[in-house]
Amino acid sequence: MNLKKYLVRALHRLQKGPGYTYKELLVWYCDNTNTHGPKRIIKEGPKKKLIWFFLTLLFASLVFWQWGILINTYLSYNVTSSLSIGFKTMKFPAVTICNANPFKYSEVKPLLKELDRLIEAALERILQPTPGNSSENMSLPLDMELWNQIPLVLIDEQDKDNPIILDIFETNQTLAGNETAMDNETSVSRLPAVCPQCSHPGSDNCTYRNFSSAAQAVTEWYILQSTSILSKVPLHDRINMGYQAEDMILACLYGAEPCNYKNFTQIYHPDHGNCYIFNWGMDEEALNSSNPGAEFGLKLILDISQQDYIPYLSSAAGARLMLHQQKSFPFLKDQGIYAMAGTETSIGVLVDELERMGYPYSDCTLNGSDVPVKNLYSQYNTSYSIQACLRSCFQNHMVEICGCGHYMFPLPEGVNYCNNEDNPGWAYCYSSLRSSIKQRQICIDSCKETCNDTQYKMTISMADWPSEASEDWIFHILSYERDMSTNVTLDRNGIIKLNIYFQEYNYRTISESAATTIVWLLSSLGGQFGFWMGGSVLCLIEFGEIIIDSLWITIINVISWCKGLKQRRARARYPDAPPTVSELVEAHTNLGFQHEAVGAVPGAEALPPEPGTPPPNYDSLRVQPLDTLGPDSDAD
Amino acid sequence: AATAPGKKITARLKRTLPVRGPQAPTLSELMRWYCLNTNTHGCRRIVVSRGRLRRLLWIVLTLSAVGLILWQCAELLMNYYSASVSVTVQFQKLPFPAVTICNINPYKYSAMKEYLSELDKETKKALETFYGFSEGKSKVRRSVDDWNSTGSDFFEQIPLLKVEDFSRTATDLHSGQKRKIEGSVFHKDSSIVNSGDSNDIIGFQLCDANNSSECALYTFSSGVNAIQEWYKLHYMNIMAQIPLETKEKFSYSVEDLLLTCFFDGLSCDKRHFTRFHHPLHGNCYTFNSGESGTILSTSTGGSEYGLQVVLYIDEADYNPFLVTSTGAKIMVHDQNEYPFIEDIGTEIETAAATSIGMHFTQSRKLSKPYSDCTETGADIPVENLYNKSYSLQICLHSCFQKAMVESCGCAQYAQPLPAGAEYCNYKKNPNWMYCYYRLHEKFVKEQLGCQQICKDACSFKEWALTTSIAQWPSIVSEDWMLRVLSWDKGQKLNKKLNKTDLANLMVFYKDLNERFISENPANTLVILLSNFGGQLGLWMSCSVVCVIEIVEVFFIDSLSIVMRRQWQRAKKWWHGRQQGGAGAAPGGDVERQGHENPACMDEDLPTFTTALRLPLPQDSPLPRTPPPNYSTLRLETAFTEQLPDTLELGQR
Repeated sequence: MNLKKYLVRALHRLQKGPGYTYKELLVWYCDNTNTHGPKRIIKEGPKKKLIWFFLTLLFASLVFWQWGILINTYLSYNVTSSLSIGFKTMKFPAVTICNANPFKYSEVKPLLKELDRLIEAALERILQPTPGNSSENMSLPLDMELWNQIPLVLIDEQDKDNPIILDIFETNQTLAGNETAMDNETSVSRLPAVCPQCSHPGSDNCTYRNFSSAAQAVTEWYILQSTSILSKVPLHDRINMGYQAEDMILACLYGAEPCNYKNFTQIYHPDHGNCYIFNWGMDEEALNSSNPGAEFGLKLILDISQQDYIPYLSSAAGARLMLHQQKSFPFLKDQGIYAMAGTETSIGVLVDELERMGYPYSDCTLNGSDVPVKNLYSQYNTSYSIQACLRSCFQNHMVEICGCGHYMFPLPEGVNYCNNEDNPGWAYCYSSLRSSIKQRQICIDSCKETCNDTQYKMTISMADWPSEASEDWIFHILSYERDMSTNVTLDRNGIIKLNIYFQEYNYRTISESAATTIVWLLSSLGGQFGFWMGGSVLCLIEFGEIIIDSLWITIINVISWCKGLKQRRARARYPDAPPTVSELVEAHTNLGFQHEAVGAVPGAEALPPEPGTPPPNYDSLRVQPLDTLGPDSDAD
Repeated sequence: AATAPGKKITARLKRTLPVRGPQAPTLSELMRWYCLNTNTHGCRRIVVSRGRLRRLLWIVLTLSAVGLILWQCAELLMNYYSASVSVTVQFQKLPFPAVTICNINPYKYSAMKEYLSELDKETKKALETFYGFSEGKSKVRRSVDDWNSTGSDFFEQIPLLKVEDFSRTATDLHSGQKRKIEGSVFHKDSSIVNSGDSNDIIGFQLCDANNSSECALYTFSSGVNAIQEWYKLHYMNIMAQIPLETKEKFSYSVEDLLLTCFFDGLSCDKRHFTRFHHPLHGNCYTFNSGESGTILSTSTGGSEYGLQVVLYIDEADYNPFLVTSTGAKIMVHDQNEYPFIEDIGTEIETAAATSIGMHFTQSRKLSKPYSDCTETGADIPVENLYNKSYSLQICLHSCFQKAMVESCGCAQYAQPLPAGAEYCNYKKNPNWMYCYYRLHEKFVKEQLGCQQICKDACSFKEWALTTSIAQWPSIVSEDWMLRVLSWDKGQKLNKKLNKTDLANLMVFYKDLNERFISENPANTLVILLSNFGGQLGLWMSCSVVCVIEIVEVFFIDSLSIVMRRQWQRAKKWWHGRQQGGAGAAPGGDVERQGHENPACMDEDLPTFTTALRLPLPQDSPLPRTPPPNYSTLRLETAFTEQLPDTLELGQR
């Protein structure tokens, strides 16, 4: 009952509402809405009405179309970049310094003795292929075990289909029928040097790596062999075999403050042996530099002792250095630069930073935690970088496929480095993995770049140092300080001066900000709506209200139509049945204009002319009965 | 009496036409109607406000709002063609750029001897007479004798002169005779004005061959520059006469230049290099030129995975006068780009390992109307003489060459030939050097218009290089390295390699991050319209509808009112003439007509206001009201809140 009462009331309230029919509702809406077009439709003459109707429709569709574009733009998450250049007090970059040569030859000589003798003999054979005079040079027997694991061979490809493989130490010529050469066309008719790798020693499943130059073949071969030997040496011993900080760093000056080798953090780098990092920021706060120019930067004098280089391992001599961010691992092979012995190298630094917004604006990672690759470099407590990710990815693949880790990368837990004894086929496995494009692509796809990309742009210049006039006393002092003796132990081939400093403009920061924010979206939407129709959010609400109203009208109409149907049926049964009470009430209260219109117009025609009623054109009068009727219907 | 008809007509119009519609009888009515009914804020205030001060205030405010809107919209329009820059970094497999490697010395000196021996002899002679330089006394003396007997072609063509002071006399280097300098003197070094008064100045004179009185003297502060420049002129002259095949033969072959090659961990050889003949650098070799159809790419950064080559620089076979430095020149460029190695090449040293780390940046500018750049170069009226994609350098060089062919009749040696032209040489074009120098000077001073015609390209790729040098080979590895490399070089070389003949070069990607800097339009039409809408809405709550209204009211309606009045006046005047100045029709008639006017029945129905004004139709035959079927309209007005205003105003 209550519900019915409520519904009836709702119906009545609605009837008092703005409109009674759709048309009236629309007209009312058009007249009273705040959007600009609709008002014109009802206020103008018939022709203009039509024009305005189409104009309003056009504008409305324009608004919706442009809204669609704006929302699309917003959802594409564009960014704008802003660039700032200048000088500010900044953290001085971490500086990693290594020797190009990983170990002192004097220290590793016992380990590499056999290998060196082997390679010397091999070179002898290569350079003088006549077997007569080379044999007598060999007083000691060679360690042929090392050789047999990865032998150096020559391939004679004069006959393309049947290349002849010559082992340097064995005179017998093998006809390789099932040779799977990686790069098997060499138009050089002479003998190219090749170093083959077999999956198992002695097996036929061999891969030959072709080299167009013997120098490269020898170097690669030596690196493979020495890697295998050195990987068996425990880390502690390897560190001892490398260059010590006090031997390498002779003088250090940061700003006006003196510093020494103790300010450097030691790290073992597989390529370069002991590396020393200045200002890594691991234990203490990173140093700031607030002045540009060489006077306020880092000044170093290094000794690389070129005489103690391993002859076959690295042919380039110099210091390898790299500038990088605090707490990041130095990847010297990628980003490192050389400093030449006997020169002063000045490096002006500009910090080129790119700060990006993360998801959804760009696909980058903030700290690498969302990258599906286990970061092996985290054991150094270093932050994520794309290089670390790629190398970890490679090492993980290597461990998975070859069963051991490569010497150049950190080890996952519970895995050993590859060596020839435990993993005889590792070299084959490694080189096939390394040249596999699929593996690289997998790693490229799974690694993400970091959102904050910092590069140190270097302006490098060099001059001869020490000058001829000053070299005597400089060498003397430096030798004295290092060895406490008056003998000059340094020379031009080992000494390097480095100046690293900030340039006059020391930063260039490109930072991203969202091009389209919610505020931007709202103001643009409002602008569009306002521009075409002068509308606002309230207009949308108005429109919604009208829709609800029309729904109500529909409901009422449907109800009344149902009732009418019922009555008609009832009337059909009892043609002259008296109107029920509810019907009377309905007729009284519901002043729906349809009823009136239907009844009034034919009625007016039928009515005889009546004498002078005053012209009922007063709007105010029309309003009144509505108001007076209100309480009545409520009372019901 | 004169005003009466006018008033009557106005009254009639008022009656016949509804005042509330835009067809108001007078302009002021129209304005009032507009202000009351318009959707813009402000205008209504003017009409509604009472008191002169307040009304004035509102007029000022409205006008200033209009002004603000116009100003802001103008700003928006002016800033429409602005671009915002976006930087994206993408980590991906990168295409390796083309690397062009040249020996600094263009041709083997030994091979060129037959062409250059005369010139070299004369150069040596000049050095001896003016600087007392001699390399082994006997040799020079012999050459002097030779020279005296053969006569000097080169010195006759372009004499080297020693200019004494500024007395405008010059000593001919060869004959020793003094001559008066005529014509203009061009100083190649500006510092000469200050320092040159005590020293003798060396230079050479170029004369117009057709008109020998017109000469230009080019002077240099240092003999080094003068001799080199003078030598180069003759050298170019000689080279222009040698066919390309011969020149290619005289230059270095790829086997000569390359000792070892290694790319991406694999060995490479001469098939990966494409020859490219550079007029000034001889044979250059481009690694990964893309000519075979495939462009190599790197998927790992770092020095091991880039290009590593050892170059053989045969220092002993260098031309002593043409090039004075030793080493190789390299350039990293895109496959479609022409390597201007003489302009932007990087020099690398011998006996050293040069490691070049690259960082790839791609930039893209927006073309017209945002900036004045060109996408393909097709819209630039300079023919691209190089068979490569457009760049500013190509355009400038082509433009100069075109001007050269037009004004000198032959083409300059250092640039490609346009169709139908040939290179300058002294035999065919005796005047070309003078012409070339004149033209070059004009070019440098931007008088040729090349700098104005040529535009930058919209997109370009840049490889930022970080170059560092290490000693190579190291002392301990020098011995075996040189031995093995000599073996690699093979039988062709019978001497042992020296480390100053070798250069090691590593070119690699530092990282595989590609930076892509692109300009995007900061505004789109949608955003511009939104901004307009924001401005219009903020100041006046206006929209396009208001603009249409304004056009409608201020132009169409005002015009129609003015026209109608003119028409009425003309009609009245015509009537007046015909009726001979008789009075107008009786008022009652008019009123009755007004009442029965069909205008009452159309959609612009009289409102309450007009209804009030209507006199009661007392003598109408049917005093009955029309059927009240205006329900919609009545309803409509029932909810118009502006009615009281109109009512009040109407009554006033």
